[in-house]
Amino acid sequence: MRRAATIALVLAALGVSGVGAYQLAPSSAPASAHWRELAWPFPRDGWPAGRAFRCEGGGCDGAELYVRAKRGFCNCDSGVADDDEVDRVADIDLITPRFTATAPGEVVHVGGMHGRARRYDLAIYHGASHAAVGVALSRRCDLFVAAAQGRGEAHAMQHAALAFLETQAMKAWLVAALDGK
Amino acid sequence: MFRCVQTAAALVLFAGSTFVHAQKQTIGAPPEASNMKLVGTNDLQARSAYQPTIHHQGDRWIAYIGHHGGTDDVPAPVNPVTGQAEPNGTSIVDVTDPAHPKYLRHLPGQEGKYESGGAQMVRVCDGKSLPKGDPNAVYMLRTFGSEAHEIWNVADPANPTLVTRLSGLKDTHKSWWECDTGIAYLVSGAPDWRTRRMTQIYDLSDPAHPQKIRDFGLPGQEPGSTGAVPTELHGPISTGPNGNRVYFGYGTNKGGILQIVDREKLLNGGKEPTPDNLRYPEISRMPMSAFNGAHTTFPMLDMPVAEFAADKDGKTRDIVMIVDEAILNECGEARQMVWFADVTTETRPMMISSYTVPEASGQFCQRGGRFGSHSSNESMAPVYYKKMAFIAFFNAGVRALDIRDPYHPKEVGYFIPSITQATDKRCIPVEGGERCKVAIQTNNVETDDRGYIYIVDRANTGLHILELTGAARAAAGLPKN
Repeated sequence: MRRAATIALVLAALGVSGVGAYQLAPSSAPASAHWRELAWPFPRDGWPAGRAFRCEGGGCDGAELYVRAKRGFCNCDSGVADDDEVDRVADIDLITPRFTATAPGEVVHVGGMHGRARRYDLAIYHGASHAAVGVALSRRCDLFVAAAQGRGEAHAMQHAALAFLETQAMKAWLVAALDGK
Repeated sequence: MFRCVQTAAALVLFAGSTFVHAQKQTIGAPPEASNMKLVGTNDLQARSAYQPTIHHQGDRWIAYIGHHGGTDDVPAPVNPVTGQAEPNGTSIVDVTDPAHPKYLRHLPGQEGKYESGGAQMVRVCDGKSLPKGDPNAVYMLRTFGSEAHEIWNVADPANPTLVTRLSGLKDTHKSWWECDTGIAYLVSGAPDWRTRRMTQIYDLSDPAHPQKIRDFGLPGQEPGSTGAVPTELHGPISTGPNGNRVYFGYGTNKGGILQIVDREKLLNGGKEPTPDNLRYPEISRMPMSAFNGAHTTFPMLDMPVAEFAADKDGKTRDIVMIVDEAILNECGEARQMVWFADVTTETRPMMISSYTVPEASGQFCQRGGRFGSHSSNESMAPVYYKKMAFIAFFNAGVRALDIRDPYHPKEVGYFIPSITQATDKRCIPVEGGERCKVAIQTNNVETDDRGYIYIVDRANTGLHILELTGAARAAAGLPKN
């Protein structure tokens, strides 16, 4: 019993140090913006939990970003084909089931993956403007999705989020997550 | 003493590794079976197979088998009958003599690989049973890849003729067709809907002149809606005008929903896809765990349950068998399995039991390909209905379940076909590339009125026709063979 507890402690420590390594990894995002890792804030659903970050400084200050892999996507050949796909899969519904797209989406690329990004208004903060961005990227039969939300301007939030996803540390994690590791 | 322990440990490890190795399928090895026996096979031209439908046509029995698209290695296999490379479509096989199936015709489908091509789904109705059909015709409804539904006259199954095409879709899947009324619930992707798959209801009582009735789906999927989009449809099963219910299954391997719908209200209620009109015919819905989808929702109403025979109420139960679909290779997701819901009190459906193949019984997570359920037989012929269910379980083959007590379903037989040269590999990502294994991938199953069981393989191994033996045969009430 004591041995099991010790192993659990060691594993937990290793896990924490792993998270720390990601936090300390250099970022190619604007120097004034820093993404600090948070605990995954959503209840368990059909996919394993991902990672969550809060932007500190820069044009995305206060925004939160949620990213995760969704393995098992039926459109293996066509990829993320349209904006409806982004509405369905990009995890905006984790933040609130009530969201409205503000404009057609656009094609985006991260780490050699292709997909779409779309901006939304969220209906959770009465009177206060609250924007969100959904991103869905495909690699064959798997998806990588990201959702960002904040009080700032949606375009700046999208730019900062995509720049963060393009950092080496995040791209390495993204590939590992899609490989099921 | 220490050496003894070491030796014993080494022996255990060796035995374990031999056992694991023994679970790998190899070409030439016999099939694995219990209470099920192989009667006949056909290689289906090494095409990845999805839905089989067996139709009694005059004095013949014809199997119509839908195919997925081709593979990366072979996008359009050569049809040995024509000598031409043909995109996967529909195989038509005469199974009158199940020991010697005769391949009659390959009807090409949409170009494209895997789920992006082919003609996956197929249903068949006699013209004489449809209210306005040609009594001399036999109609085959099939999908044409993701872009259309088609109806063919297959009265001469070796020479089908196209009757109707409903096109302009972004997806299709497993539809349902009532042969006595002609009402069809077509799983479609209407271009303006927010979901990949929803229901288009047609009156196909005169297959040459389809009449659209309405579009249907869950509120939030309809055109112009905002916010979260509910799980997409997989397929419906109707009990027709007598039962007046349609059971819709949403989701494949995630967030499943069983939706019970009043058929009369569905067909005659408001047609505009407003949230109110979509809600109107719904009696209830049962959300499942986020871990599981509702691929097949097979109703078995008014089942007598022996255990409840002496009870003053609830002696019979209305049951829906729900089958999830495993999607990821080598157990890369939560287990997909079989569920039984008691829907006797329709507004309060309740899950009562489940079934899965024990993984350790065959080291199935290590065999390669998918392990988990996919689909059940959908024939309601008396030979098996409400007594025995057959479940396609990918690398665990087909499983025969005694379901007479749906509160305690029991496996009574199984059959895992041998792999062949045609069996395609299944891969998972590993550091710097892929690792592939070859294993049977029993994709779908159907039964005929004679009691034969037809299983088809997603990994190109073809069609296997089976029969029950031993205790499974006795449980089904079939005569000894």
